Amino acid sequence: MYIKRVCLKDFRNYELQELDLSAGTNILLGENAQGKTNALEAMYLLAVGKSHRTNHDLDLVRFNQPVAQVDANLVVHGREQAVSVRIGSTGKRATVNGVAQSKMTQFVGRFQVVLFAPEDLALVKGAPGLRRRFLDVELAQTQSAYLHHLSRYSKILAQRNSFLKRDLLDEALLDTLDEQLVQSGVEVIVRRLRFLHKLRGFAADTYKAVSDGRERLRIDYVSNVAEAQISENPDPMRLNESFYKTLVAKRASDRHHGFTSIGPHRDDLLFHLDDKPVHGFASQGQQRSIALALRLAEIDFIHDEVGEFPVLLLDDVLSELDDVRQTGLVLSMSDKVQTVITTTSLYHLERQLKADGNLFEVQSGIIQRRG
Amino acid sequence: MWGYPEPISRLVEQFMKLPGIGPKTAARLAFFAMGMTDEDIRDFAKALIDVKEKLHECAICCNITEESPCSICQDGSRLDSVLCVVQDPKDVLAMERTREFNGRYHVLHGAISPMEGIGPADIRIRELLSRIAESDVSEVILATNPNVEGEATAMYISRLLKPFSINVTRIAHGLPVGGDLEYADEVTLAKALEGRRAL
Repeated sequence: MYIKRVCLKDFRNYELQELDLSAGTNILLGENAQGKTNALEAMYLLAVGKSHRTNHDLDLVRFNQPVAQVDANLVVHGREQAVSVRIGSTGKRATVNGVAQSKMTQFVGRFQVVLFAPEDLALVKGAPGLRRRFLDVELAQTQSAYLHHLSRYSKILAQRNSFLKRDLLDEALLDTLDEQLVQSGVEVIVRRLRFLHKLRGFAADTYKAVSDGRERLRIDYVSNVAEAQISENPDPMRLNESFYKTLVAKRASDRHHGFTSIGPHRDDLLFHLDDKPVHGFASQGQQRSIALALRLAEIDFIHDEVGEFPVLLLDDVLSELDDVRQTGLVLSMSDKVQTVITTTSLYHLERQLKADGNLFEVQSGIIQRRG
Repeated sequence: MWGYPEPISRLVEQFMKLPGIGPKTAARLAFFAMGMTDEDIRDFAKALIDVKEKLHECAICCNITEESPCSICQDGSRLDSVLCVVQDPKDVLAMERTREFNGRYHVLHGAISPMEGIGPADIRIRELLSRIAESDVSEVILATNPNVEGEATAMYISRLLKPFSINVTRIAHGLPVGGDLEYADEVTLAKALEGRRAL
């Protein structure tokens, strides 16, 4: 799949910008703060339905304008589709080939991207929320039902937390909320475990390539729900039981804190190198390698799930990868995957330019084609 | 600076209290009202007052009615043994339009939502329980909305009804009638698959 053309209207610092992309490599060259990442953000929005940088959609609207719009022509499974996302004070609306989508959850999942950005380096050692977000974004892109179950789970969680905060004394109502929470939570956990089962296999291979086979990478899912082990076929009944049991056991302390301490909203990923947990010892270089291996594994995962390679968005990461082999590895992706790269210099990119690469120059919200 | 005369701004403010009405629409409605005939205005005002003064909750089913018990509760041709529990008076109307249901109703006036401060005591669940305890209902159909709050309400009521040893059912959800399978979203289709039945 690839993006053929994208048009930004009042999006971030762009007033009106059209961009015709090649199916191979596309390089956005420019100084910092000119709008390179904003362009990638728009492409990310087309796949994931939201920004990778902010949860406030209105941040995407150009200063003093009412509405931002991203139109694009995507080629998915050989078929061209015209999609559009509009963001205004009344919310976010998407259309596909002129047909309005009633919900964003209906829109997300028809087109996939993998984004590799400098922030990813925090994925390994940063807050658990980053790793959950990683899981959620990947799953939402490949399975539309996941987003439904996740948003349902969050809603029930908010209801249960409100119940706990108000300290209502109705045990039957708490039982009901627990039953609901477990039902939705298990749907979320099962999908995460199945996803990780696949991703873990791909990531072991990509890590080998990234680190030159020096160490072995293993990923674990860490959960308060005892039965939550990565598996191809997690047993929902046993998860259900174990989740419910832990939830009931923690009831008194949850009541005391006014907060639900058990469930997929608290789960985490743990990385091991040669069976040692990465948390304690991993160097900058190892963290970088893991983050890179995960992104490359995603490319394989998406290919395996949807039968086509996603679009790869590289946000100024070439300068982060000081290792020549890693840089080569990333760039070799553009042989099979449409790649959009933002960079401040053309160092390392000579080969891409000679091939079928497009070079664009970005300056104060204007993108111009140079080669 | 010139503003609207006092009676107009008062009317605009009143309209703005209605759901879905913002300042622009409210002003438009207020100016439209100025152009209405005296008779229409009186009818309009009276309709508003009547809706408050003449309508009460039925002592049995809690639906809104002019007379209590309401006409459905008084109707001798309906089955006393089947009780359909709905969230709103509007849902009774929807169920009645089907002409398929010949039992009695119970209107909850809302759904449980701790986030909005609505607990079981804030909707007509107590009334439902005492009604069931006093009558010989054999089946309770829970027809609350298929969203998080409606589901919670249905599950909660079914818990409370366990000791009564009556048949508690939940309306089905899934594919719309007359629709094509291919147009259904994955979640709805998965639900429909889950609720399949033997032929």
